[in-house]
Amino acid sequence: MNNIISVSYYTFLEMVRNKVLYVLLFFALFIFVLGIAITQMTIGDNLDIISDIGLGTIEIFSTVLAIFLGINLVQKELTLKTLYPLLSKPLSRTEYVLGKFFGMIFLIVVEIIVMSLIFLVLLHVYGGPERLIAYLPAIYTIFLQTATIISVAVLCSTLTEPTVGGILTISFYLIGATSYNLVYAITHRTSENVAKVINTLRYILPDFSHFNIKDNLVYGRGLEGLHIGFASFYALFIVLIVLSLSVIFFNTKEIN
Amino acid sequence: MVKPIEFKNVSKTFRHPMKVWDRIEAVKDLSFSMENGEIAGFVGHNGAGKTTAIKMMMGFIWPTAGEIQVNGKDPGDPDVKKSIGFLPERPYFYSQLSGMELLSYFGKLTGIKGTVLRDRSEKLLRRVGLFDDRNRKLSGYSKGMLQRIGLAQALINDPQLVIMDEPMSGLDPIGRREVKEIIRSLKREGKSVVFSSHILADIENLSDRVLIIEKGLMKHFGTVPEIVPPDRIRYKIEFNAPDEMKDAAFSLFKGIRVVSNRFVIDCEDLDDFNVKLTSIVQKGYTVHDAGGVYPSLEEIVFSQSGEVAS
Repeated sequence: MNNIISVSYYTFLEMVRNKVLYVLLFFALFIFVLGIAITQMTIGDNLDIISDIGLGTIEIFSTVLAIFLGINLVQKELTLKTLYPLLSKPLSRTEYVLGKFFGMIFLIVVEIIVMSLIFLVLLHVYGGPERLIAYLPAIYTIFLQTATIISVAVLCSTLTEPTVGGILTISFYLIGATSYNLVYAITHRTSENVAKVINTLRYILPDFSHFNIKDNLVYGRGLEGLHIGFASFYALFIVLIVLSLSVIFFNTKEIN
Repeated sequence: MVKPIEFKNVSKTFRHPMKVWDRIEAVKDLSFSMENGEIAGFVGHNGAGKTTAIKMMMGFIWPTAGEIQVNGKDPGDPDVKKSIGFLPERPYFYSQLSGMELLSYFGKLTGIKGTVLRDRSEKLLRRVGLFDDRNRKLSGYSKGMLQRIGLAQALINDPQLVIMDEPMSGLDPIGRREVKEIIRSLKREGKSVVFSSHILADIENLSDRVLIIEKGLMKHFGTVPEIVPPDRIRYKIEFNAPDEMKDAAFSLFKGIRVVSNRFVIDCEDLDDFNVKLTSIVQKGYTVHDAGGVYPSLEEIVFSQSGEVAS
């Protein structure tokens, strides 16, 4: 356990010093400028628009960070050969993979907290800082969704080079983000048998609709009590499966 | 007594990077074992199989055939790593960490904590000459400095066995001398050391035993005198004679020469050496030096491969 904590901490430290903060700074400017510009141009409740943009931006930036840092997590160490001295210590490969994953999770948590604080400032400017409390479940499910993406990025990083890993992880995200609507649209426009097959796919393909509660919260449609619990279970399920695969693959990989 | 490293008929093949069905035999039927407290030097050309052998003893890759034991256990066992230090070839570390942070990180992984870790880190940083740069990010370290911090991290757990792949690579002459001194001091502390190098003089100066590997095959493993083919040993006798006998001494053998006021005679082989030495002693001359002159390791490798090792 101590080894996992050490790998996580130094993975976080290495990444947080590696220009990630510039991305956050860019986000801060982006969200402020965009929010102010849009509220000037549109008719409607400014707070709703700002909320929509704020939560959407937190999701996009978390996803981008998860993919582009995650796919390099192990591969970069293989390419630069930083892995050799690390694995020459009494550290199992399982501890290494888990440490890398939790280091990345740690980074995303900090990133989401920083972006939420920027979001809070924006809400305050538009007179609704108390809304952030109501949005916490949405921020939590964004974190859950990002955690699944990180686990897939780690898996790809143990298997293949960053370019291929990036394509696979982005595909996972796109499938997860669109599978619910795609399946819904296809099953309503096809024969009953095909619809059954397509419906079965819903249980295999990742479905991020379980994590999407932003609209419900921003536009006051309410939230079922079980939703957060199910989303947590669903994310945990994906992460456990994917991380187990990563550990199995990495334990059988020759570090050449 | 458990041996630090033992290879038993170890082979390793890789898939050819370009031709899917082809295999490359990196190491072929390699067998050797090290004794505790000795320095073993691996020597061979690029692609000879040195690094592959080292990667197998570290458990990074696995042999296709044969068995490897490090301190009596499988090299992949994390417990084995508690008593091992490893310096990879051309080491590269986390660029955003400082030298001190890197040692803290690796020290924690070996189970060292608190003031013990800090004291040991500082001691090692002084030993490798990086104490003043301990808080600088590694991205600002030169190649030689990375080699030194690599050496420091390899010693952070006070290992009994130190494995180094090209430890002198990238170092200036002073740095090379310092690393050599560290290797010697490790031996004085009773530790076992394995290192590979292209620089034959370094291998010859430091190693108790030398493993010559060529195209994956072990050519020799032993001390330099042990691995010299008998016909490559030259025998020489240095002697002196009283002034009144100098003329007689000079005409004693064909090919005799005078070096630094002494008579020197080269012998064709051991028999010739014995005959000439007996004759010199019988005539009452003073023998200053007599024995075999071994070729350097470079000469041995040169003669076997037909080209000079770099």
